[in-house]
Order: sequence, then structure tokens, then C-alpha cells
Amino acid sequence: MSVNPANRPTPPDASQTSSGDALRVLAGISGRVPAGAARTGSGGGMLTVIPRNCVGCRTCELTCSFVHSTHGRLARSRIKVREVGEKRFVQMTCLQCVEAACVAVCPVEALARNEATGAIEVHEGRCVGCSLCEKACPFGHMRFDPEAGLAVKCDLCKGEPMCARFCPNKALEVR
Amino acid sequence: MSIRLTIDDVEVKAEPGEYVLAVARREGFAIPSLCHHESVAPIGACRVCLVQVTFGGKTTLSTSCNMLAEEGLQVVTDTPEVRAHRAMNLELLLARAPGSARVREMARQYGVTRTRFPQVAESALANCILCELCMRVCSRLGHDALSAIGRGDKKRIGPPFGTPSERCVGCASCRSVCPTACVFVRDTATSRTIWGKTFEFVLCKNCGAPVLTREHRQHALAHAGLPEDYYDVCEPCKQADAAGRFANVVW
Repeated sequence: MSVNPANRPTPPDASQTSSGDALRVLAGISGRVPAGAARTGSGGGMLTVIPRNCVGCRTCELTCSFVHSTHGRLARSRIKVREVGEKRFVQMTCLQCVEAACVAVCPVEALARNEATGAIEVHEGRCVGCSLCEKACPFGHMRFDPEAGLAVKCDLCKGEPMCARFCPNKALEVR
Repeated sequence: MSIRLTIDDVEVKAEPGEYVLAVARREGFAIPSLCHHESVAPIGACRVCLVQVTFGGKTTLSTSCNMLAEEGLQVVTDTPEVRAHRAMNLELLLARAPGSARVREMARQYGVTRTRFPQVAESALANCILCELCMRVCSRLGHDALSAIGRGDKKRIGPPFGTPSERCVGCASCRSVCPTACVFVRDTATSRTIWGKTFEFVLCKNCGAPVLTREHRQHALAHAGLPEDYYDVCEPCKQADAAGRFANVVW
């Protein structure tokens, strides 16, 4: 799979591209659901980021760290709260792009979409730890765990995103 | 047409061409291994995945990683004999790789805490168990920058003829997959040295942090078909930039 440079992800206000759509949908800006975009839970909702509600408490980061590692280290969190201005926060997490750069760049087909949840997941048995996916993601959402030698990314908790469940201010929701 | 075999007296199905270890793990049976990786062909090097197999009235021990599933095959993953042979192999591996935490832990699980064999204290690639996983992965990635050098007790893994390889791109996948963590990589703020070759990093356009080696970038550009500037900025800078663009839409 390759990404046509003409279809590359661009800022959400300026494009009609697949990754742009995912960004918009996950931002809760547009109700349009692109084919294959992230669906979670039994109701088929989507993990929706609502930055206006985010107070920067980083409960989502902590939750993610504990769900996905035994140590609960914040550095291992797959979701990251970024401060973008005075008391303004945006929770950055994988957009599960329709035409994903990480999938395109992986030399061993270790990244594939879980059709049940819509999430692009790392098949750990196949990952050889070249870290190209981390370098290629245009949004900086991929992580590489140097100790395990594996790529790490949001898998939407197999359909039940824990970050959304624990967010105290409805800044992350499954809708 | 799927094949039926039994693992620990449970009947399981497999596709022709599937290996016993892969079938067993898929079905939830635990078999230890060091040199197995799903992205490359198995070669049965570490001998830790031994299982008892019965086929055609004959019972024997075999490595499960490179044994094809056959109709009517009976596999037992844990018997006193299997454990004894795994323990012996781990004792041998312990002599080869005394510095590997993973080998030591696996050996401990089989009751092996020390080795009766002389330890291989070779400074070149100490703790290497010669499983060739680095070599197989390098080949799978299309680099072919590693090979076995020498024979017998002089055998070691490295770039062909022991001289820095022109084909190595410094991706360090060999380090990522090495089961005994014996591949040595030295990273500085601007360069990476691996297998006797030094690479310059592409530095982040915003903050100057290392992103990946120039050669690795070239290789990715030639094979993945992504735009050139995808590899110019480090991950934190890309995320900060995306967050800013995101915020401009929200507020």
C-alpha cells in the first residue's frame, strides 16, 4: 500500500483527504464518518476528542499507561495531552487514518486494521522494531518502545477506550 | 482443506504449511522460544521450543517452530523428557550467553541457575547465541547486511567478511529483535555507530533532535512511497505542530 502524495494528510480545515477526514471526525468537528474509520464499542461509536472540555489533568495518559504497561509510566502512554495556549489543551491520539502512513511504511506488514474496532493495531509478533512507522506518522502519534523493540500505538483498547471511560470532564467520549 | 492435529490431547485445526509452534501459540498453548519471529522463516536454532511429537506410531522430540503441522500429528508441549531437554539446551545457551537476562530467566524456569560448560567469553559479540535472527530479519528487510562469519567455534555474526557493510542502513532492527540483547548500537546526538559503521542522523528541522539515519530515510523513500518531508521532523515536534493545527480549528 502506498500513499499518493496528493492525498497526504493536511490541516483539517484545508483538505478533503482521508487522514484529514479522520482528524475532523475524531475531533468531533464533522459528523461525517469515512469508510473504515474508527468504530468502537458495541454501539459502533467513535472515540471523539473534545478539546474544549479538556482541563489538562492527564487522567487519560495515566489510564493509558496503566492499561498498556505494567509500570504505568506516563512516557509509555499512547495518548498525549498537549498544551497549545493559555489553559488550552488538545489530547493527541492516533486518528486511525484511512490511508495510514504507518501501514504504508511498515516493511513487514505488522500494522493492520482490526475490522471489528476500526483501530490500526501493531501485530507484535511480526514487528521487527525498525521504527519507520514512528518516523513516518505525520501527526507524531506512533511510539517506539526501545526496551521491547516494538512499535506502540493506540488500539482503542480493543473497542473499549479506557481513556474515555476515565476522563472526568467528558473531553474524551465514545459517540 | 484444513489439517487436524492434537496438542496436549486437544484437537486443533491448522492450514497446510503452518508450523506447529504457530498453531500452538494461536490456540493458546505456551511453548518457550528465543529465535522464533513471525516475520521470518524459522530455522530451529535455539532448540528451546522442543516438543514431543507422535506421528505414524513413532514418538520423538522435535523443534516445533520449523515442524510442519500434519494430519493426525500428536503434540505434547510439556513432559519430563521435554523439560529435561529444554533444560540441557538452556544450560548450553547459558554458557554462550551468560550476560543475557532473558536466557538466565528462561533457564531459571527450568531449574538451571548455573552451567557446567565453559563460558564463551568472546569479546566480539559476547552473549550471541548464533540464532541468526538479526541476519534473517536484515535479509527480510532487503538489506542483507549481516552474515555468519567463520566456522565451528569461531563462528560469529556480523557484516560479511567482518568489514562494514555498504548495504547496512543503520535501522537497528537487528538490535530490536535480538533475543539476548547483544547487538551493540552507539547513538550520539548526530550519529549512530553499528556493526563498525557510523551513520549520520537526519536531524529534526525544528529542534535538531535525531530522527533516523540518512540511509534509512533513503531506503524508506525508495520503498514506502511516502512524501519526502515525512521524515524531516521528530515525533514530538510533529505532534506539537498537529496539536496547534487542531487547536486552530477548535477555537
